[in-house]
Amino acid sequence: MSTSVRNRQEARSRVATRVTAHVPGHVDSVDGLDDLAHVEHGVDVLDGLHQPDKGHPHHRNQHPLKRVWLFLISMRTGLWIILLLGLLTLAGTLLIQATPEARADEQAYAQWLAGTPSERYGGWVGILDRLGLFHVYSTWYFQGLFVVLSMSILACSINRAPKLWRVATHPRTSMREVFFTHAPLRATIDLPGDVDSAAQQVRDALRGKHFRVLDGTAKTGADVYGDRFRWGPFGTVVAHLSIIVIMLGFVVSATTGFKDTDFIAPVGVDVPVGHNTGLTAKALSFTDTYYENGQPKDYVSDLVLTKDGRQVARQEVRVNTPLIYEGVWFHQAFFGIGVDVKVSENGKELFREMVPLKWQSNDGQQSIGQFEIPEKGISVYVIQAASGQVLKELPAGTAQFEVHKDGVENPLGWPVIDQGDSIDVDGLTYTFERNRPYTGLTIKQDKGSWIVWVGSALLIIGSYLVFFLPHRRIWARVRSNGDGTSRVMIGAPLKRDPAFEPVFKNIVSSIKTSDS
Amino acid sequence: MLTYSQFAFVAALITSVLATIAYFWAMSAGHRALKQQAPQRQRVRVGDASDDLLDDDLADIAVPDAPEAPRYSSMSAATLARFATRLTWLAIAFLTVCLGLRMAVTGNGPFVSQYEFATSMAWGILVSYAYFEWKYRARTLALFVMPLTVIALAYAGTQPTQVDPLVPALQNSLLLTLHIIVAIFAYGAFAVSFAAAALDLWTPQKWRHLIPKPEVLDRLGYRAVVIGFPLDTMVLVLGAIWAEIAWGTYWSWDPKETASLVTWLIYGGYLHARVARGWTGKRASWLLVLGFASVVLTFVGNAFFGGLHSYS
Repeated sequence: MSTSVRNRQEARSRVATRVTAHVPGHVDSVDGLDDLAHVEHGVDVLDGLHQPDKGHPHHRNQHPLKRVWLFLISMRTGLWIILLLGLLTLAGTLLIQATPEARADEQAYAQWLAGTPSERYGGWVGILDRLGLFHVYSTWYFQGLFVVLSMSILACSINRAPKLWRVATHPRTSMREVFFTHAPLRATIDLPGDVDSAAQQVRDALRGKHFRVLDGTAKTGADVYGDRFRWGPFGTVVAHLSIIVIMLGFVVSATTGFKDTDFIAPVGVDVPVGHNTGLTAKALSFTDTYYENGQPKDYVSDLVLTKDGRQVARQEVRVNTPLIYEGVWFHQAFFGIGVDVKVSENGKELFREMVPLKWQSNDGQQSIGQFEIPEKGISVYVIQAASGQVLKELPAGTAQFEVHKDGVENPLGWPVIDQGDSIDVDGLTYTFERNRPYTGLTIKQDKGSWIVWVGSALLIIGSYLVFFLPHRRIWARVRSNGDGTSRVMIGAPLKRDPAFEPVFKNIVSSIKTSDS
Repeated sequence: MLTYSQFAFVAALITSVLATIAYFWAMSAGHRALKQQAPQRQRVRVGDASDDLLDDDLADIAVPDAPEAPRYSSMSAATLARFATRLTWLAIAFLTVCLGLRMAVTGNGPFVSQYEFATSMAWGILVSYAYFEWKYRARTLALFVMPLTVIALAYAGTQPTQVDPLVPALQNSLLLTLHIIVAIFAYGAFAVSFAAAALDLWTPQKWRHLIPKPEVLDRLGYRAVVIGFPLDTMVLVLGAIWAEIAWGTYWSWDPKETASLVTWLIYGGYLHARVARGWTGKRASWLLVLGFASVVLTFVGNAFFGGLHSYS
């Protein structure tokens, strides 16, 4: 009884070892371990697990470069980075993040900081700001973590790929007897024929299940090795390298091309796209339609692109159908109403543009736009009643021009002008020509996105290879019983591949039945 | 037609509640039956209780013909458990009808409002669970899966059910369908992994003998993540593709995007920790609980964070 209990305990401890050690896509280290260890231990493909202690920074007597290498190939490093990235992204989700506009200049940022963040976090604002937690994703340490992660992934891949290659191309084909008495999947069959015919039966059975078959190097009898999906474990390398590819795509996106999120195209007006594209965009119309319940239904800009005076593209641009021309994407992003303004001095035109009414007053009653005439030190707010608002002092068809001058505290004037009329303020003539709708586009040229897509595809393919095409290996040992019959011992590691067990049983039974 | 969809929803909710009760009842019947049996019998059962996901011990000892483990301790428990399974299938059927009818009315996948998405999510959880029950006979997972489903459905019940037309950003039926349906299966699988972890962590000692062994739960949780993780990767990638088309950028650190990335990182961390550092048992279970908390946060988080996903 006590013996059986002990055996059971041993069995359990062995199970426990295997639970921690065997993984799909992760290959058992073949060389240099004895056969029993081969059954019970596994080595992670991208981890220095089986030299875990070497990877530990406590090994101070190593060469510094070696220590860097061991640090990079240590799974501990990878896990810490993932943990830190997770915590930082969580912080970035929970804490309000500054918009790019707010971070455009120091003054705007200070203003932004004094707003909602101060209301929400009170005295913590200073510390959170110093830690960069209001723009987590652009902090040096967040991006630095990605760099270290890339290096770690690369190092792990370099470290493990050769071993994977060896296992796939030059697998160990013979095992000693102890393997066959301890393997998680095992069977022993006595066959009537001699060793050659028994070995052939094993080979046929393996080939019947689409296994690759290799012969071992047995001095007496025959050893047979069969495996399937030997390239599956490379999925880990593919999946890990794909992360680097994706990060590379992010870097290329961020450092090349351009992105203009605030491109305003007044309907019927040519606007140069800039960024050396030589393109000019013109919205022939903009339409916004709504459902009966007031929800937006569609935003459409009829957009025309010209280059060197020639029309090169025309498309109805909707939120989900950007116009793409020579790698430049035009997205429907926002829309609004502007005011065509003319400013002149003694009949000489100083300014003639559409001023988009981009902002709303705090009470939501007024739409506000702004323009400047720098050479005169003039800055003007153009104000109209917001859509749907009826204001007595600002009736429909009028616009208020609030004129400010540098160095003067109060506005020089704030006349309300009817459409088509002009009014003089401080020697300049301001004309409210007409209202004009505009469409707001996001225009971008992203040279990194295709890299991200390639990386993403690799990531998905790699994951499926790892998890769903586990390397399945079977060893057989055929020995003569000395009486014209042969004994076939078959063994296989189970790893985390429960579907392998029925396959194994199938192969065993087909060896048995091929005999009869 | 929407009225019938609502009827089906209520039917699914009631069925899920009944199934939950039935599963717990089966558990308690099994517990009582075991107590009545001789101590040595009980001892035998300790290892091989209700679930038998390819038991390593069995695989070790007897490759050719692993003996079938007795699954339920008495007829009444077994009958109740079978009944609970039928109820689960019925709940899936009702939910399918509910969602199908709604799709017929709206003309798009039932993934647009919180009501629709929560109902779809409940469907995803049930289907994932049904798969695991069928494949691994892991019925005890229901003890956590079913309450989770009931919570998801109850939450859906508190949300406005009117059909809102699609706002312009969502008018991409291919990506809407792919992005969300993959998410539903991924999150369903994660819910199953959560159930396995929760069983491992939170089963009271006196019920322990009724649930699968920790190793089996560990493996169940792992299997679920192995299915869920690549799907979750696809959710992120499909979302990025859609963002590129609709918003002009494949990644904008929008709160929902970021929260899904955190979820993905946690499960990625789990796979690595488990595979390479040998994190099994309690520590791995806690990671699974953390991962699922992140899933829930990703799902309901918009209520707090706003952001580009504010319609969902």
